[in-house]
Order: sequence, then structure tokens, then C-alpha cells
Amino acid sequence: MIRYVVIIISVLLFYMEPIFGLFSPIELNGHFYVLVPRFLIIYLIFIAIYYDRKRAMLYGLIFGLLYDVFFIDIIGLYSFIFPLMCLVASFIVRFIHHHLLVATVLTLLLVAAVEIILFVFYTSIGIKSLTFANFYQFNLIPTMIANGVFVLMFGWLFKYILLNRFNQKLLLLQK
Amino acid sequence: MPQFFSNKRLVLLLVGMIFLVALISFSLRDRNHASLPEQLIKDVVGFGQTMFSKPTQYVTGIFNNVESLLNTYDENKRLKARLEDYATLQASVNDLQLENEELRDIVDKEENIRDFNPIQSTVIARNPDQWEEKIIVDKGEIHGVAVNMAVMTSQGLIGKVILTTPYTSTVELLSTQNPNYRVSAVIADEQEVFGLIEGYDIERKELVLKRIDSEFEVKKGQKVTTSGLGGIFPKGILIGEVTEVTTDDYGLTQLAYVKPAASFSILDHVIISKRTINPVDGTDGGNTEADLTEGAGEES
Repeated sequence: MIRYVVIIISVLLFYMEPIFGLFSPIELNGHFYVLVPRFLIIYLIFIAIYYDRKRAMLYGLIFGLLYDVFFIDIIGLYSFIFPLMCLVASFIVRFIHHHLLVATVLTLLLVAAVEIILFVFYTSIGIKSLTFANFYQFNLIPTMIANGVFVLMFGWLFKYILLNRFNQKLLLLQK
Repeated sequence: MPQFFSNKRLVLLLVGMIFLVALISFSLRDRNHASLPEQLIKDVVGFGQTMFSKPTQYVTGIFNNVESLLNTYDENKRLKARLEDYATLQASVNDLQLENEELRDIVDKEENIRDFNPIQSTVIARNPDQWEEKIIVDKGEIHGVAVNMAVMTSQGLIGKVILTTPYTSTVELLSTQNPNYRVSAVIADEQEVFGLIEGYDIERKELVLKRIDSEFEVKKGQKVTTSGLGGIFPKGILIGEVTEVTTDDYGLTQLAYVKPAASFSILDHVIISKRTINPVDGTDGGNTEADLTEGAGEES
């Protein structure tokens, strides 16, 4: 049962992202603040930390590919970034404590890394011209706040589900 | 870091990078056509997306209704004041419309670049990473949508279709920074002044209307609409209002900043306009004029 919950949550988050994208950009005092929902990558990083690195990278590849084809029309962008972030997360987490707070901070740092990689990519191929100061103020900070709220709200739930699944798998292996 | 950079992984990483660069450059070259597997994925994901976005829009619709209910009193006061003007305006519009039809009958001219068949569609997703200004709507080739058609809301023009699959299509909004994005526009106030919407000023949040003949006088507050001369868009869709007029970089033509009439931030229902008169690939599209001069499109 819980085996399918892991997949179902990722599908749900994949479809929720563009819906939250419809609310952005938010106008405040004449400035437009861009909030980018990064729910899926947050969840995938949690999978990499608490459950299984290979599984996380596989999901990252599949959902990254869907993301590329459906939204971006540049194949190979997200299907590379998603697995890469899962790999980096699982690598770092070997040296640190598996506490929820640590995982939260690590996830947010990696989400910021995703945003910065995308900023460099899009400005270098000339689709968007944006200075780093503007990107920092109007894209990165609001995005990090929005995703921070998301992790604080659902991080414990992801951890609970994924650890349950991890323990279940361990039990199966022991039998 | 011995484990992270073992030989096997390094080779894998390098091969991956080369593959990635190849894939990206391959898909960047031709972004306006979706291959068959791409279309299939888009349609399947789009179907799932519709299942999710329809209920959300229902919920946000309820919130909007409550909000408009709260503003009813103020709005009612303002609208009452305008109602009298409206009645006289309506009478004169009807009169002019009748006269127009009669005159058209006299000269035997039925087709009009103003006429279009609206295709009502629902926005199912906005490109979530928002690096490009794109939305995805739930009508596609099956419903008669084709590339370069104009997309608008009840407030005004918002963009054009850039990619279609059988059941979905992708719309690029006017607020894009794509340099190849042009819309042929006109300022119709006493005399018609033509120009091209080319580009979006990201600091001012306004469209840039270029190539206005400097002999004409353009004033602040004048309304800008589509001219219909770009070959694909119908005539008379409101784009926005002129806020400032200057000369362009070379001083040869005028340049005007246009505040868009439609808001680009929360979009749910949009109208795709399918022009009844034959479309030509002019300035609104790729500017090949392939339908007029045979083989012109193939050269480029």
C-alpha cells in the first residue's frame, strides 16, 4: 500500500506545481514577485535522503523528462537537473545527521541551487535578460520563502511516509 | 572525496554531459514543432492536468465571486454614473453598424478582417518555472487551433499560439522577451497610425510599439488595437493604451510605450481567435508570406 503512496504523492505534486504557478507573479507595491513552486524536487530530495537514492534519481529522470516535454520544450534540462540534485543530496547526507531540520535546510539550499543553475542557463542562451540583482530580489527570495513554507508544512509528513517505506523494505529484505 | 569521483562515475558524468548538450541544442533548434512522441506526452500530461486544474478553478471562482460581492456597492455607484453615457453610445454603435452593413451590401463585400470565430478555452497550466511567459490551454488542432493565432481575454490581447498538439496548445504571452515576437498594431483615433509591437520593457511592465511614422502625432492615452494587417490576427482586438511617446534609437521613427489592457498574472479563461478570412504568414507570424509567394518559406 505505502509503496504506491510514494509514487502517488510525486504524481500529485507534479500536477500541483503548474496550478500554483497560475497564481504567480504576485504584485506588491508595483513590483512583480515571481514565486516558482518547486514541490516535486523538494519531495525527490526527501526521497534521496530518507528512502533510496536510485529510486529518487529514476523518478527525477522520468518527471524531469515529462516537465521538459510538456512545459519547457527543451529536452534535457530538468531531466538532468532533477537526478543531479538527488545525487548531490544523497552524497552530502552521508556526512551529516539525518535530522528533519538538517534535511529542510539542505533541501532549500539545493532548490536555490536549481534556481541559480536555471538563471545561468536561460540568460546564457538569451531567452531572458535579467541582472543577478533583479533575479535575486524578485525571483530567488520570494521563491525560497514560498518553498520554505511548503517544506515546513509537509516535510515531517514526507519524512514519516518515506521512513515507513524504508523500514518496510528493510523488513522484507530480512525475511 | 574518493567515492564521488571514482573513474566509473567520472566517465558516466562526462558522457551524460555530452549527451545533455547534444539534446539541448537539438531541441533548441526547432522549438515550434512537436515531434510525434512529444505530442503524445503533451496530450497525456495535458489530460491529467485538466483533471487537476478544473476543480481548482472552480474553487478560485468561488473566492472571486465572494470578492466581487463585497465590492458590489462601490461598483454599482460607479456603473450607474456611466450607464447614461452607455445608452447613447450603444445607440450610435447600432446606427453605425447598420450603416456599415448597408454600405457593404451596396459594394458587395462580405469578407472582413475583423470577423473571427472565437474558440473558448481554459488555461490548464502556466509554465511553473516562469522563465518563459507561456501558458497551456485545453484546445488543440482537433478544435481548429493553429500556430500564430491571436489569444485574448475579455480585457484584450494577451498573446499568440506558438505550438499545437491535437488536444492542447501552448500560448506565448505578450510579456515575452522573445525578439522574434511581433504584432502588427494600429492607433485608430481620427486617423490610423500603424506600428509594430516589438518587445516588452521589463522594468516598466509595458509593451513597446515601434516604427510609428514620425509625421503622425501620437498622444498619451490613445488606444492601441491590432491592425489585422499582420496576416493572422483579426482587426480590432484591444492591446492597450499609450503611456509615453519618444523617438527610437536612430531618430527616424517614433516609439511608444503601451500599457497592456489585459492583465497577464491570473489567467483562467481565454479566447483563441480563428480569423474567417484566409490567413497569410505576415508580420504576426514568421514573416515568410509563404502563402503569397510560392517557395518563399522553404528558402529560410
